[in-house]
Amino acid sequence: MDTKKKLLMIDDDPDFVEPIMAILENAGYEVDAKYNPDEGFEALKSGSYDLLLLDVLMGRGAEGIMIARKIGDDEKLRETPILIITGMREQIAFLFPGQPVHPSFVPTDELIEKPVEPDLLLEKVSTLIKMAEERKAQSELN
Amino acid sequence: MEKRCKILIIDDEEIVLDSCLQILSGGDYEIRTAGNGILGVDLAEKFRPDVIFVDLKMPGISGFEVLEKIQEIDPTIVTIVITGFATIGSAVEAMQKGAFDFLPKPFTPDELRLITRRGIEKRKLVLETLALRREKELLREHFAAIVSHELKSPLAAVQQYLYSLSNELSDQLTEDQQHRFERIQTRIGDLMQLIHTWLRAITVDIESIKENFAPTSIPVVISKAVESVDPHAIRKDIAIRTAVQDDIFPVLGDEGTLVEAVVNIVGNAVKYSPAGSHVEITAKNFDDEVAITIEDDGIGISSDDLPFIFEDFYTSRSDKQIEKGSGVGLALTKRIIEAHGGNVSVESELGEGSTFELRFPALINQPIELSPINNEFMNKT
Ligand SMILES: Nc1ncnc2c1ncn2[C@@H]1O[C@H](COP(=O)(O)OP(=O)(O)OP(=O)(O)O)[C@@H](O)[C@H]1O
Ligand SMILES: [Mg+2]
Repeated sequence: MDTKKKLLMIDDDPDFVEPIMAILENAGYEVDAKYNPDEGFEALKSGSYDLLLLDVLMGRGAEGIMIARKIGDDEKLRETPILIITGMREQIAFLFPGQPVHPSFVPTDELIEKPVEPDLLLEKVSTLIKMAEERKAQSELN
Repeated sequence: MEKRCKILIIDDEEIVLDSCLQILSGGDYEIRTAGNGILGVDLAEKFRPDVIFVDLKMPGISGFEVLEKIQEIDPTIVTIVITGFATIGSAVEAMQKGAFDFLPKPFTPDELRLITRRGIEKRKLVLETLALRREKELLREHFAAIVSHELKSPLAAVQQYLYSLSNELSDQLTEDQQHRFERIQTRIGDLMQLIHTWLRAITVDIESIKENFAPTSIPVVISKAVESVDPHAIRKDIAIRTAVQDDIFPVLGDEGTLVEAVVNIVGNAVKYSPAGSHVEITAKNFDDEVAITIEDDGIGISSDDLPFIFEDFYTSRSDKQIEKGSGVGLALTKRIIEAHGGNVSVESELGEGSTFELRFPALINQPIELSPINNEFMNKT
């Protein structure tokens, strides 16, 4: 890897952040972690990240979803690919009645369930980053 | 202090209304009267009585219509019909339509008092049952929330740590250590799967699947179900044979949950059969129904267990049990089948094997439109 890819993880449960970060760092990524949605959103705005790992069910009221929506509405931030990580698929379904279980917040995103197997995690992360890069190159061409 | 019970009497004969009022005035009731059906229905809506007496023969809208309207306003209201001796037949008909009892004219004061008391008892019972059912539902929802938050997420965190540890240690562990590591992960994985099954049984809103009902092909449902159970069957050297009638009718339903229902039953057939046996799946049209049967030569179900196997968390007490389950599969299956307007029945004898039959209303005269994916699937099988 030429330059280290920079990832941001936003999750309020340190017991997920630590092991997931360990897997990612082991694979050569640089990872920042924020433990609440507000700080996470600030960090995303000020830093330049190649990918965001986001727990959408943080807190009582699924605050993660609120920031996912905020990111989706932001012209610049929405270009960052998001790997949505969730504790419970079935709860996600309640939040989006009548919609496919995987809601699309930004052009490049995907949903996986906790716990995440290392191989799957690494594969999703690299695919999403690649897809976002291709998208960017494509839009620069046009 | 308990609230006074409310009674409404609908009858076109003033004399009847008056005598009822007089007879019941001794009891602790709040009573209203209406001289015709329209006024009666109106009062039923505003006054919300516990018990309503309805004269079946009235000019204007009939007693039967009044009964129907009351049902719509509040099905928990207890209705009692008043009839002349000549019209006992219609009283029976009214009771078939939900009336609680009938009072033949002429009646004595004691008869009226007695039937009123019984009506009120009945109303209390109905309300209590309803409250109990609501409580049970709340408990169900709470239980699901507790299971998911208090059990599932800590377990998931443990598993996540194990994943990262094994990832970091992958080249440092001896083969034995690696094996132990894998066992921990497998057992935790099983536990999470179990919680997941429970959660699904408890939280799944079967009614909501009706919103997405579409014409569904039985052969597709069966092949998908078999495909999902096959790995387990092959490991146990159990052959699953299917015989599906060529021109079998489609059904109106949700393919995903129908496959889940069939998977549960075929999965059980494999699970509760000895290695080397076989499972037979047939699907046929029966008049305006479609029947799917799943037959196994397994351990069978004792007549003590048979009535209960469709209940939540029920597993049979038999010591012959080959594999242990969580007792959720069939309960969920039954709910799915009933949401499709179908039903499931079983015949079984201990040691002789079991036959499950699913019946669904067929979708007749409606050619099924197969999506490209389905087409591919059909060709493959
Ligand atoms: N084909 C069968 N042969 C013998 N016993 C059966 C069969 N199908 C079901 N049973 C009995 O009925 C019980 C309830 O079945 P059900 O599928 O609901 O639960 P389970 O198989 O124990 O667990 P799971 O929730 O994993 O399916 C089983 O525990 C088993 O004792
Ligand atoms: Mg089962």
